[in-house]
Amino acid sequence: MINPRLTKNTPVIIQGISGRAGRLHSRLMKEYGTNLVAGISSRKAVSEINGVPLFTDCATAVKATGATTSVALVGAFDLLAAIEEALAAGIRYIVTPTEGMPVHDALKAKRAVDAAGAIWVGASTPGMAIAGEVKLGFLPSDSLIPGPVGLMSKSGTLSYESGYRLAQRGMGTSVWIGVGGDAVKGVRYADLVPFYAQDEQTQALLIIGEIGGHEEEDFAAACIAHKFSKPVFALIAGRSAPEGVTMGHAGALVHGSHGTWNAKRLALEAAGATVFGSLNEMVDGVIRRLK
Amino acid sequence: MYLLEHDAKELLARYQIHVPPGKLVSDLDTSGNLPPGPWIVKGQITAGGRGKAGIIKKATTAQEIIEHTKAILGKVVKNRRVDTVRVEQQVAGATEAYISLMIDAAAAGVRVIMAAEGGMDIEALPKDAIRSAVAAPTVDAITRCVQALAASFEGAKARALADAGAKLASAFMASEAMLIEINPLFVKSDGTWIAGDAKFVTDDGALERQDDTRAMLNARTAAYPEAALKLEHGCDYVVVDPEGELGLLTTGAGLSMMLIDELRAVGLKPYNFLDVRSGGLRGETARLAKVLKWISAGPNVKVMLINIFAGITELGEFSRLLVSALSEAPELKVPVVARLVGNGLPAAREVLSAAGIPLYADLDEALAEVKKHLSGNQP
Repeated sequence: MINPRLTKNTPVIIQGISGRAGRLHSRLMKEYGTNLVAGISSRKAVSEINGVPLFTDCATAVKATGATTSVALVGAFDLLAAIEEALAAGIRYIVTPTEGMPVHDALKAKRAVDAAGAIWVGASTPGMAIAGEVKLGFLPSDSLIPGPVGLMSKSGTLSYESGYRLAQRGMGTSVWIGVGGDAVKGVRYADLVPFYAQDEQTQALLIIGEIGGHEEEDFAAACIAHKFSKPVFALIAGRSAPEGVTMGHAGALVHGSHGTWNAKRLALEAAGATVFGSLNEMVDGVIRRLK
Repeated sequence: MYLLEHDAKELLARYQIHVPPGKLVSDLDTSGNLPPGPWIVKGQITAGGRGKAGIIKKATTAQEIIEHTKAILGKVVKNRRVDTVRVEQQVAGATEAYISLMIDAAAAGVRVIMAAEGGMDIEALPKDAIRSAVAAPTVDAITRCVQALAASFEGAKARALADAGAKLASAFMASEAMLIEINPLFVKSDGTWIAGDAKFVTDDGALERQDDTRAMLNARTAAYPEAALKLEHGCDYVVVDPEGELGLLTTGAGLSMMLIDELRAVGLKPYNFLDVRSGGLRGETARLAKVLKWISAGPNVKVMLINIFAGITELGEFSRLLVSALSEAPELKVPVVARLVGNGLPAAREVLSAAGIPLYADLDEALAEVKKHLSGNQP
């Protein structure tokens, strides 16, 4: 079973810490309480950034710090190599927020991660978080309060807004995983169903999905196969998107009857999920059911 | 990027995939350089269902080519205007088969699908008529997969599917394709074959290192507006309704899509989808000013709504850039309503207030303000 329940003690490295995103987000993650033990920068000119010691490569950093987890903040064309380097160094959890990873690179990365028995969240993920413990990636702290809702999302912004509106009404999250908006990726919704089923802090699941692909449909099938008995809520964006046009996220593309909003709604409802038509309805529905 | 059939065939031909000789035509002067007839005149749009939409017609005389071309050009199918037709030689004396290669995201591989019948939607075929398997993403693995599947057919079709499939495997991997579908694949009794139609979807993420596809995009940006725009400006912009009344300045693909859905559900008419990537503006107004100019081109746009949930973006900085960009884009004459949440809201309030832009933290309140402009009443 994939177990994303990291803790505030989990030792984390940042690949690409000296870049613009690396500097900003290493600071924000550290402020949230994430245990950043090393930063990787091949152009090592200083010894630390935001108080995080620098190393020139993953293997040395892992040997020196015992890190198990990496957040890679590198360019889209450098991401495959960064993932391969992390795996070779023995990293077990890799979170990659980078957008625009070439799909054929993602195929290779996914196969390498699976062969190593590691867990990959991304690419194009807003990140993941255990509220109150650890955050890996970009999730805004205002949206992150501890609570009973397991949250999985393709989109960053729509999940920030959802988490924020729920938090404003006092409803928090247990384990928040941004699976990301790419077509080919690491962890998918369906992979996490066994984890959420047994996770004691999680009392309900909120899926924030999008048109395109069939991940929501696969998730619905996994809920049925695992007899998932906690309430499942879903919000799916892109109901009115035109066919054949990529709506921002590489995976958000409808072809003919594939990946349509309605196909996803039907599959989710058949698995017992409640599919909402708007953010307001979703927030009201979740609160009514769990309060 | 969903390629026009014409571009798909030009690209496939570079990988030794046989296609009927044809020419792209954008006006009625079809006199030069046509292959020998009879012909088929095919309207070019980046979507399927062209036959049903009446933009594929057979022609036996030059006069018929002109008549069909005239009838097809300018038609709007699935929200896309037909700007070009491909005039192509008809294929005679052949039977039809089906082959496609596509990314299988769940299996992290390449799915190969074959059938001994073609010409119709693959989903309309009975399940037992279809052969399908997933290969690892290498030319060798896909070729072995293709050969194993083709062996379950007989005679000329088995030979044609194996040969075409091996060439498609090379094309798929070299061009970093998402999908290549040949339907129909015309097969002659001697096992020779030719691609009747071609659907080819490439990976936008690989465009910067795929010279052939990038050249096609640059040669015909009007046919691929979204991909061209993303490559040049680093943001996603789609006109979702050319008649739309509400321009949107939004960030984040998921939230922007959801906003459009919710606006439509209450009867409003959004003009565009936009993921401006507010976190990547890097202190410059150029991208925002461009976006404002695009939105101003909507003939019915009456108001623009800004909706930003700033997880990371600093809203004070964003607001300063926005106000500068508005002065750089005087074309945008419509009123602006903003809904901002997140980092730096107090600074944003000051900047927008000085610029006379109403700011709300609640989306429903912002929409109430937007509606006043749409109903024609000034607030």
